[in-house]
Amino acid sequence: MKARGSIEKSVARLAEGLVAPAWVLILLIFALPILGAAWLSFRNETLGGFVPPKFIGTDNYAAAFADPRFWESIRTTIWLTVLGLVVQMPIGIALALILERNLRGTRLFRTILIIPMLLTPVAVGLMWRFMFDVDLGVINWALSLIGVDGPNWLGARWPAIWAVVIVDSWQSIPFIMLIVLAGLAGLPKGPQEAATIDGANAFQVFCYVTLPALGPVILVTLMIRIIDSLKMFDLIFIITTRGGPGTATQTLGMLIYNTGFGFFQTSRASALGILMVLMVLPVYWLWRRAAHRGQG
Amino acid sequence: MNRSTRRILGNAASYVILLGAAFMALFPLFWTISTSIKTRNDTFVLPPRFLDFEPTAKNYIAIFDTRGFGQIYLNTIFITVASTLLCVLVSTLAAYSLARSPRFRSRRPLEVGLILVRAIPAIVIMVPLFTITSKLGVYDNHFALILMYAAVNVPFAVWLMTSFIEQVPITLEQSAAVDGAGRWQILWFVVLPLILPGMAATTIFVALLAWNEFLIPVMLAGSSAKTLPVFISGFISARNLDWGPMAAASSLAILPIAILTVLAQRWLISGLSSGAIKG
Repeated sequence: MKARGSIEKSVARLAEGLVAPAWVLILLIFALPILGAAWLSFRNETLGGFVPPKFIGTDNYAAAFADPRFWESIRTTIWLTVLGLVVQMPIGIALALILERNLRGTRLFRTILIIPMLLTPVAVGLMWRFMFDVDLGVINWALSLIGVDGPNWLGARWPAIWAVVIVDSWQSIPFIMLIVLAGLAGLPKGPQEAATIDGANAFQVFCYVTLPALGPVILVTLMIRIIDSLKMFDLIFIITTRGGPGTATQTLGMLIYNTGFGFFQTSRASALGILMVLMVLPVYWLWRRAAHRGQG
Repeated sequence: MNRSTRRILGNAASYVILLGAAFMALFPLFWTISTSIKTRNDTFVLPPRFLDFEPTAKNYIAIFDTRGFGQIYLNTIFITVASTLLCVLVSTLAAYSLARSPRFRSRRPLEVGLILVRAIPAIVIMVPLFTITSKLGVYDNHFALILMYAAVNVPFAVWLMTSFIEQVPITLEQSAAVDGAGRWQILWFVVLPLILPGMAATTIFVALLAWNEFLIPVMLAGSSAKTLPVFISGFISARNLDWGPMAAASSLAILPIAILTVLAQRWLISGLSSGAIKG
């Protein structure tokens, strides 16, 4: 009764219906609030404010651009992202290469090594915060054993930024490791063996054969890590108590939180949110390109 | 230096690095759990006590004595389970369309929408969501939280499920159709059994993400829908950080995950490897 290929046809009819619930969630929980943020950003709404709210044009945007804390938060966000990538990518790739050698016990190590990425960031952040404690923390104690006077990790800007980078790396390296490992598994072994036979050493094989072949996978990983660094919230909330000391580790996301929920400036926070969306869009565009190259 | 010596040296170096990495991965976990069973005196002492202390259950008792802690734990479980089921159901349906129907009208917009939901930091939607939920009277409401949890995890779940459904040969569905099976019969009796392992992996992941979710409940849950991560974060506002009970609460959040990781590692890794590439 039904011809071959009719599956596609009947699925096409069904398809719109099947994606409808996903559309409802996306529109209700994402699209609508973003439109709401855009609307709020042109007004002067506050939580529990006494001033009657009205339309004030682009004042909130002008205020953001004039605010040094805004620029500081962007610098902090960029530093956290860049330092994170510099620490995480080489370590994640190196661990993947070691696991790829498939030595005895690899599966056990792989299981152990992915645990950090799955743990509750809030709990992880608190525990590291305890370990970073300047007087009683186990990290400065360990540093003192090798004669290093550990910094007051959470008491000054750069140590605090490094503390966040360290904890973020601890949680993210397993992710990079797993993706690169999956990428390595998909590579043909021929070229590597050929290079070895031709006398290349392990380092040369990696640099000239494996790494270029992994290019698309690494690019996709990089994009995901950039996006997640921009989104980072839980760890900073906990480790440096919402961006401290002072505003030293206040990222753009944290500034939005502090503006909206600390100072109750709903409209100001919304304007910052819209600016953040505009900043994420180029990353989104790069991601699409990376994904296309990844498929090719 | 000949070949086999170099191999042995290479293997030895690999093991040294792997052991170092494993130590780094596990130490904070060990430190959390050990702090959670130490007395105050054993916690605040240098050099730190790694194993030479009297274990105590005091910190856990203090946590369970906290007013409303049972409610918080149950909230977390309920919201996690309900939002995960909703998210996996919605995502599986959408993933079936994406995997099987190369062109339907809203396909392109949906793909773009999914990436945007994944890429745009959720903090952006929190301020308007707070206003909206307050106006609608659903601030601190379990069901509002469930909808939001499900929505933020839809992109990840859709990508994961799409890759699982694409692995089911379409010829199986075609031959069932030739045999006279209807559309819903095919979905229920042919497709569903084959994608169940994939759904299981997706469910585990989404449940983990929901269990760990912090941004949504910290802003949109008050006292009645409060979840475990929000409770744990409450420790930082106390002036004197109370490390023992804090470590106990953290352990109660992360121990189920560590156990799940070991039990379900096969599914976790297959899921991470196939789905994480995109999400």
